[in-house]
Amino acid sequence: MMEEQLKNINTLPALTWNHLGVNRAKFTAQRPEKRAAVPATMPEAFAKIETGMGKEAETFAEQNCTAYHVIEAEENQEYTNTDSLRYSLTGGDPVVDVTLIHAHAGSRVTVLQSYTSGDDSACFHGGLTKIIAEKGAQVRLVQVQLLNSAGRHFDDVGFLLDDGAHAEIIQAELGGQCAYSGCLALLQGYQSSFGADTIYLGDGTRKLDLNYVARHTGKKTASEMKASGALFGQSDKIYRGTIDFICGAARSTGHETENTLLFSPKVRNRTVPLILCSEEDVDGQHAATIGKINQERLFYLLSRGLTEAEAKQLVIEAQFAPAIAKVPDESLQKTIRNYLGRRMQLDG
Amino acid sequence: MSKVLQKDQIAEVDHSLYDFKDVEHPSFETNAGLTPEIVEQISRKKGDPEWMREFRLKSLDIYNQLSVPEWGPPIDGLDMRNIVAYVRPDTQMHGKWSDVPDDIKNTFERLGIPEAERKSLAGVGAQYDSEIVYHNVRKEVAEQGVVYTDMESALKGKYADMVREHFMKLVPPTDHKFAALHGAVWSGGSFVYVPPGVSVEIPLQSYFRLNARGAGQFEHTLIIVDKGAYLHFIEGCSAPKYNVANLHAGCVELFVEEGARLRYSTIENWSKNMYNLNTKRALVKKGGTVEWVSGSFGSHTSYLYPMSILQGEGARMEFTGITFAGKGQQLDTGAKVVHAAPHTSSHIVTKSISKDGGECTYRSAVTIQKQASGCKSSVSCESLMLDSQSRSDTIPAMDIRNDDADVGHEAKIGRISDDAVFYLMSRGIREEDARALIVSGFAEPISKELPVEYAVEMNNLIKLEMDQESAPVC
Repeated sequence: MMEEQLKNINTLPALTWNHLGVNRAKFTAQRPEKRAAVPATMPEAFAKIETGMGKEAETFAEQNCTAYHVIEAEENQEYTNTDSLRYSLTGGDPVVDVTLIHAHAGSRVTVLQSYTSGDDSACFHGGLTKIIAEKGAQVRLVQVQLLNSAGRHFDDVGFLLDDGAHAEIIQAELGGQCAYSGCLALLQGYQSSFGADTIYLGDGTRKLDLNYVARHTGKKTASEMKASGALFGQSDKIYRGTIDFICGAARSTGHETENTLLFSPKVRNRTVPLILCSEEDVDGQHAATIGKINQERLFYLLSRGLTEAEAKQLVIEAQFAPAIAKVPDESLQKTIRNYLGRRMQLDG
Repeated sequence: MSKVLQKDQIAEVDHSLYDFKDVEHPSFETNAGLTPEIVEQISRKKGDPEWMREFRLKSLDIYNQLSVPEWGPPIDGLDMRNIVAYVRPDTQMHGKWSDVPDDIKNTFERLGIPEAERKSLAGVGAQYDSEIVYHNVRKEVAEQGVVYTDMESALKGKYADMVREHFMKLVPPTDHKFAALHGAVWSGGSFVYVPPGVSVEIPLQSYFRLNARGAGQFEHTLIIVDKGAYLHFIEGCSAPKYNVANLHAGCVELFVEEGARLRYSTIENWSKNMYNLNTKRALVKKGGTVEWVSGSFGSHTSYLYPMSILQGEGARMEFTGITFAGKGQQLDTGAKVVHAAPHTSSHIVTKSISKDGGECTYRSAVTIQKQASGCKSSVSCESLMLDSQSRSDTIPAMDIRNDDADVGHEAKIGRISDDAVFYLMSRGIREEDARALIVSGFAEPISKELPVEYAVEMNNLIKLEMDQESAPVC
C-alpha cells in the first residue's frame, strides 16, 4: 500500500500559537495503483483556482486521480447531476476523484457527490473539486460523506465567482475515521455571493479537520458560512472558518456561525473563526456556541416519553435538518438520517 | 457641488505629552548586544544571589535555542545586537520625592505621577530606564502589612525566599524566546505582597519610563495577593521617540490566592519605535478573581496577551481591553485563559480601532481542560476600521476538552455607520462631531472600567479632531 504524507494542509490563513495545534494539519493519503487517464495539465482556467486544503492536497489529487469529470453547463442552461458522482468505496481500491465544473453565464448547476463504504474494510477517498461560476451563474454543490469508521477521507474544494454569481456548498461530513476537508471561495465578481452549510458528526476516535475560507475581493460581495455539529466519544474536531476582506471589497458582508454540541467528557473541540480585514467599508461577524445540549430542552423531550438517546438524536437531527433538506435526493436524505441514527445508537 | 466626506477624520493618539527626552547620563550601561559576559556583568552590578546569576545564564542559553514565533507581526527591525540591555540611572532608589534628581523628577512630574500619588494612590514606584528611582507606600497601607517594594530589594531582603519561590515560575524562560530574554537580563520592577484578608482600598501604581536611546527595559513585576485580600494595581509606561528600535520585554507574574481579587490596569503608551514584547500571567486559586484592564496605544509593534490560569474551583477572570493603532503601528493584542478547574468562568471584552495604516490584531485562546467541568466562557470583540489603508484582524481560538462547558464567542468588524452619522446630523450635530461621538461611544465600555483619571487620559488620547478645512471639495 503506497502512502504519501501531506504535511501542510488546511493551513490557517493567519497563523496563531503553535501549541494550539490549529495552524496546519497533516494527513496520510493513500496512492491508488491504477489511475485514470487525465490531461497532463489542468485547464488553465481551473489551474489558477485556489482550494481550501491547499496546494499539497490539490497536487496529490491531480497526480493520483482515479475518476476525472469535467462538467460544462452551457450559458443560461440548467444542469443537474445527482447520480453519476456517487462512489461506493471498498478497501482495496482508493478513490481519488477530480471534478471540474464550469458554470457558464446565467447557468444553474446542481451537483451531488456522495461517498459511502461498500464494506467494513478500511477505505480511502481523496477528492478535488473546482468550480468556476461565471456571470450570474448559480451553483449548488452537495457533498455527502458516509464512510465507515475505518475510512480515511479528504475533500478539497475551490470556487471562483464572477459578477453576480452565487455558489453554495452543502457538506455532510458524517463518517470516516479521519475526515479532512477544505473549501476556499474567491468572491472576485461584483455582487457575487457564497454560502457554506456544513454538518459534521464525530464519534469513536474520529478526527475531523475542516478549513473554510471566503475571500472577498469584489465589491458588494456576500458570504454566509454555517457549521453545525455534534461530538461523541473521543472524537477530535478542528473547525477553521475565515472571512477575508481584501482592500477594495467595499460594501461586502461576511457572516459565520458555528454551533457545536458536546456529548462526551472525552471529546476535544477546537474552533478558530477568523476575520481578516483590510477594507474599511465592510460588515463582518462571526459567532460560535459550544456546549452541551440544552438541559431544559432535553428534560422536555424526556417528559414526552423519549429515551435520552432518542431525545439527543432528535435534537441533533433538528440541528442538521436545514442542511439535510438541501440534499437533492430524498432517498439519500433518508439514508443520512438512518446513518445518523445508527452512529448514535453505536455511541449510546 | 457636494462636499466629499473625508473618511480619515479621527486624530491619532497624541504622543506629544510623552515624547520628550532627557539628556542621558547613566552611571553605568552595558555594551549593546547579548552575550554571557553582558549577562554576568548585569548580575554582578546588581549584586544578584548566586541562584539568580545561574538562572540568568541558563535563560540566555534557552534564548539562544529558541526561535522567534512564526505568527504575529514582523519583528525584523529588532536586532538584539543593537539593544543595550541595562542602563543604570545616575541615582539610587529614593523613598522621598525631593531626593530624586531634578531631571528625572521633572520627567515624572510632567507625566503627572507625583500628583496622582498625592490624590489617589496608596503607593507609587517609578522606574527610569533599568532601575527603580522612587518607591513609596502610604504609612497606613504599610501598617496593614502590605509590602510594596522594588524587585532588587525584595530579592535580597526578608522576602527573598518568597521571591525565589515565585520568580518566573508562572512564566518560565522556556515559555518563549522573549521570556528567556527577560530571564537573562531582567532588571527593575516591583514586588507586592498583600497579606490575607487585607483590602487595599486605593490603588498602587508603578510607572515605567524608558529614556535611553536604543535601550531595552526588562522590568519584572511580582504580585502575591493572599487569601481573601484585594488589590488594584496600575501600570503605566511611556518613552520618547527615537529613530532606532527600543525594546520592552517585561514580565508580570500575579498570584491570586483563595478568595482573593486582583485588578490589574495598564495604560501602555510607548513611543512608536518601541517593540513591546511583554508577557503577563496570573494564577488564580479557588474562588479568586483576576480582572485585567488594558489600554494599548503606543509602540511600533506589540505582542501582548495577558494570560489567566484558573487553577482553583470557582476562579474567575475578566479581561477588558482597547487597542488603538495609528500610522506605522502593528499592535497584536488579546488575552489567553486556561480553565483548569471546575466551575471557573472567563469573560473577555475587547475593542480595537485602526486608522491611517495602523494594524490591529485581536488574538485570543480559551482552553477548557478535561477536569474543568461546569465552566463558562464568553468572548466578545469588536473592531472599527477608519480607513482602507489600515488593517484589522481577529484571530480567536477555542480549545474545549470536555462536554460540560458553555462557551460563546462573537466578533464584529465594521466602519462608522453612515446611518448613525446621518441620524446624528439630522439632530443638528455636525458630521465631524457625530463621528467623534460614535467613536467615543465605541470606546466607552472600556473607558468606564479605567480609573477616572486614566479614562480622561484615554478619552484625550483618542480625542476626535475633525479636519474640515482639508476636506476635498468637488
